[in-house]
Amino acid sequence: MAYTELIKNFERIRDYMREFYVYGFKSRDEYDKKSGRSYDNERRRIESYLAEYMGFRQSEKGKNVFLSIDSRSVSHNPLYSVLKSKSFTDGDITLHFILFDILHSPEVALSLSNITAKIDSEYLSSFSEPIVFDESTVRKKLKEYVELGLVQCRKEGKKVFYSRNADTDISNLCDVISFFSEAGLCGVVGSFLLDKFSSIEDCFSFKHHYITHALESEILYKVFDAISQKRTLTVTNTSRRTQNDRIEEIVPLKVLISVQNGRRYLAAYSISYKYYKVYRLDYLSDIVMGEVYSAFDEKREKFSLMQKNMWGVVCDERRPLEHIEFTVHIGKDEEHIYRRLLREKRCGTVERIDERTCRFSADVYDSSELNPWIRTFIGRIENIEYSNKLYENRFNMDLQDMYRLYGLGGENNALSRDLRLLL
Amino acid sequence: MLFHEIYGCYYNAVAEILHQAVNGDLTEKGMQKIVSEKAFSESFLTVVPSLKDEKWQLLKKDLSTPIKHEPSMPLTDLQKRWLKAISLDPRVKLFDADFSFLDGVEPLFTSDDYFVFDKYNDGDDFENENYINVFRTLMFAMRNKKKTKIGYHGAKGTFRIFVGDPYKMEYSEKDDKFRVLIRSCRNGPMLRVDGIESVTIIGDAFADNTREVLESTEHITLELLDHRNALERVMLHFAHFKKEAEKIGGERYRIKIFYDSSDETELVIRVLSFGPFVEVTEPQNFRNLIIERLERQKNIQNKEL
Repeated sequence: MAYTELIKNFERIRDYMREFYVYGFKSRDEYDKKSGRSYDNERRRIESYLAEYMGFRQSEKGKNVFLSIDSRSVSHNPLYSVLKSKSFTDGDITLHFILFDILHSPEVALSLSNITAKIDSEYLSSFSEPIVFDESTVRKKLKEYVELGLVQCRKEGKKVFYSRNADTDISNLCDVISFFSEAGLCGVVGSFLLDKFSSIEDCFSFKHHYITHALESEILYKVFDAISQKRTLTVTNTSRRTQNDRIEEIVPLKVLISVQNGRRYLAAYSISYKYYKVYRLDYLSDIVMGEVYSAFDEKREKFSLMQKNMWGVVCDERRPLEHIEFTVHIGKDEEHIYRRLLREKRCGTVERIDERTCRFSADVYDSSELNPWIRTFIGRIENIEYSNKLYENRFNMDLQDMYRLYGLGGENNALSRDLRLLL
Repeated sequence: MLFHEIYGCYYNAVAEILHQAVNGDLTEKGMQKIVSEKAFSESFLTVVPSLKDEKWQLLKKDLSTPIKHEPSMPLTDLQKRWLKAISLDPRVKLFDADFSFLDGVEPLFTSDDYFVFDKYNDGDDFENENYINVFRTLMFAMRNKKKTKIGYHGAKGTFRIFVGDPYKMEYSEKDDKFRVLIRSCRNGPMLRVDGIESVTIIGDAFADNTREVLESTEHITLELLDHRNALERVMLHFAHFKKEAEKIGGERYRIKIFYDSSDETELVIRVLSFGPFVEVTEPQNFRNLIIERLERQKNIQNKEL
């Protein structure tokens, strides 16, 4: 098929965008899942959408393409543009503008036959080879617009009259939409709204801003839609390790968001496995809404209780809670360390033992989830204890590896770093 | 459906083209300009010929149009539901926005439907009356290019007065805080909004309206061993920085991250959080910051023994 700039299916380009943006070191030959031509087309499209952010590097294996964006320097997420690339037919776009011209104000209410006749006589007849829209095509388009909330239909006897929904003045909402299109969820919808403004003065910038979530917008929208209706979802979950797809029926309960590691998750009750599970949003695809789930409130309440013992996203109620505690030394003029513990803890307690020491402790589903946070206190950790000794050993061995990496020795009897990191 | 052509940039470009055509202002050059501004870099290859060749029967050869009114489209249910959702967010109080037109609309999501599990606990108080007043005055100054006098409590409790032109609000999702960027301010370009006790408009901003851009002038280079999914974790974690990555053999990768010098301590902490999966190879002064903390840790452990 000939190359077109627009796309019908978002899934394929989503994978490439992620590869180019998050990784950006693969050459053409390393995209083994797809054909060479598919790679060339997707790369060309992404270049067309995001030319100013594309970079190229020549490596031994060929040319590497990457997307490099300092999200602090942009006021609007450039990746949203990909969600404005849906393809359409010549008839779709022609009909769209003619329909809204015929239904130019909410007071205009016309029957299907009337609209179809006007399209022909008032709009298309002056073209040399006019497109012919039959009533069925026009009805289908109007039905689609009714579902989108653009048009309403009213029955009078046997006749159906169509009119546009009332226009809304959002001209005084530019700042608030501008802010939430980045800082809010499903922000691309805000970006669609901003497209209605003739000009926007950028007042905001964003730090610690993970723009890659734009690629999960459709998934997130469907998840929220299902949650609001308390319905089940059938999802395809792709395993990161095996790349195998698994279809599961789930009850979506809550979206879990990290603003520190760039990941978003869906917490759900798996009907297929009969326990609570957390899914990476970027690994989900082919979402289909199911039936209303009668025990939705009960499952969500239970999950909310479980959250008290969740540091991150592990919520496996089949395993016992693990205890973890560590003490931190607070030097002279280092009160900010104590404040950091209070500010950054997500569950558990912080106790002030004395002027120079404080202790953090918690009972959680998976104590290894705390490791990255605990490591940020390296240089001050006086003592650390896990009830899960495997994790305690791993933490201590990792520390020994760090000493070795930076030329500070480390225990001699330790396994090599490369071997142990595999554990 | 969110991925729909009615939100697409081709539709936006054509709407603007028809807008000019309805008013009799459309030229071929103008059409090209609209497409280049509203759509993608190769869109002119499709949009302009499709209109001119009457594939999309909206424009005639002489650039007149059978369309009689300036194109417009009501808000979709999705757009209304999203607006309703943000109208329920506590941060919305910072904006003097009226959402009463959304009465009866179901929000797309509510605060019960999501949870940010690693946001810091000491975010700004967005419902504090003084904070709201300060925020709105700063926004007014930005919009209307005004000079301000700001009473400010520094992090160490000092109180000072600054004079300068606010030009940007920076929001951190992790800190859940706003900072305001100010031109000609003696305290550097950035102040915490929650540290501002008062702000007064005192005149027009300086004529020089060039905005100081926070540039990521520093960089570090990390070497990474891709075990325990380290590559994906690191690349996602640092995704918001400008960066470059390359494979250097086997499961080893080299990643160059560009950052602003004021974020150095934060970056040290973030690198430490990855433990032995990443090693800072350069610059040496940044590597020394890691070594310094590891040496301190080793000393503590030796004392314990």
